[in-house]
Amino acid sequence: MIRGIWDRETVALLLLAAIMPMALTFLWFGGSGAIGRLALALIVAGLWHLIFMLARAQPPSFAGAIAALAVAMLVPEELGMLQLALGISFGSVMAELVFGGWGRNVVNPATVTLAFLGFSFPAAPWPELVLPIAWAAIPAALIGVGFGVMSGRIVGGAVLAGVFALAFGVEPGPVLPAAGVVLVLLVCDPVASAATGGGRWLNGLLYGGLVVLFMLAWKTAAPVQIAVSAALFSSLAAPLLDEAAIGLWLARRRRRHG
Amino acid sequence: MTAPSPLWSTLTDPLVRQNPVMLQILGICSALAVTTSMATALTMAASLTVVLVLSAGIISIIRRHIPDAIRLIVQIVIVASLVIVIDQILQAYLHDISQKLSVFVSLITTNCLVLGRTESYARLNPPVPSMVDALGNGLGYSLVLVVLGSLRELFGAGKLLGWQVLPLAEQGGWFTPMSLMLLAPSAFFLLGGLVWALRSLRPEQAEPAEFVPPVTREAGE
Repeated sequence: MIRGIWDRETVALLLLAAIMPMALTFLWFGGSGAIGRLALALIVAGLWHLIFMLARAQPPSFAGAIAALAVAMLVPEELGMLQLALGISFGSVMAELVFGGWGRNVVNPATVTLAFLGFSFPAAPWPELVLPIAWAAIPAALIGVGFGVMSGRIVGGAVLAGVFALAFGVEPGPVLPAAGVVLVLLVCDPVASAATGGGRWLNGLLYGGLVVLFMLAWKTAAPVQIAVSAALFSSLAAPLLDEAAIGLWLARRRRRHG
Repeated sequence: MTAPSPLWSTLTDPLVRQNPVMLQILGICSALAVTTSMATALTMAASLTVVLVLSAGIISIIRRHIPDAIRLIVQIVIVASLVIVIDQILQAYLHDISQKLSVFVSLITTNCLVLGRTESYARLNPPVPSMVDALGNGLGYSLVLVVLGSLRELFGAGKLLGWQVLPLAEQGGWFTPMSLMLLAPSAFFLLGGLVWALRSLRPEQAEPAEFVPPVTREAGE
């Protein structure tokens, strides 16, 4: 296996660099509350990475910092430190570390943390993202796609779904910025998303389609809640989409070559 | 030190070492469905243990008279009759809890654990060992149900057996109940966590790896 400089940590660091614009905007507008939440998330996730390194010799990863950042940005407000720590522990252990660390997980740990906290404490309000974070998502996606650590197909599929919805006269409203932020932070995670070309298009389309569906049919949900739920479902469906893409490719090959 | 008698190990083996729920993953449908509170978990555990012991005893007594071809039908008829009796008793004396347990008491009939023990043990062994084995398995199932039920009730509502153990935030305490614990997925997480913990303590329970990854080497080697 030839790796050169492209090992797991290179990808994690480039992803971290890609989402820096969003992180800095978030810290700039969030103030001390944002910094406190980010610090707590980093400490808890880091502790679990350390524990699994000592107990199972799993190398810790900078991907823990990406998940912590996503959690700090999207987590429901008014949660106590204990509840946050519990949610982050659950997400990083059950969704990532038990599978053998980042790269072997099925679902993004941040998505699981957010879903866990959302279902556990439905009374806690979801955050209102300030608009500059959503603008910062655009350069973040460009950096990620440019360096090849995020898939342009997923972004393209999601944008395509959004354009379709707009063409049919759906008013995006406050869901659009939330959907964009979640798209870059959670859906484009190269581990938990689809891995084949066709599967990635489908993944993006599914995420966009689910956001539109939830927006139209789920009246009581907050924008971030809609986007996180869509991200959870689409990442659960990612292996299925890959399977479908591979099936299509095999069928095409069989038709062409007999 | 004398070796423990076979009856004693028949009784105690299914508690942890051969736990039917955690090692064989049998009967989890009901284990997950009825554990939102301790009261329902205890009632379900008691009902299942009684049905299991009695059906094992009856089947073991008539084991030489059951024609092999229809043995499953006979076993199900016996189990189903016992379940109906238990269901009626619950409805008569514990009406509220039987409402909460709804269909799951009747579904003891098709519980894999009951059929598994009658088919694999009671059919082939004399009544006393069969009933001891059934009791052990019933207690093993009960143990898991009680652990799951207490965790879910404690963290989902701050209560244990209906008593407020953790003071709720809305009544001036500090505990915010986790609604997730009262939803079905939490039972899967908790059961998975229990199985994980048990297999870490007793590695002989872990299954052999299905897949051995190929040896990879760094580019420079």
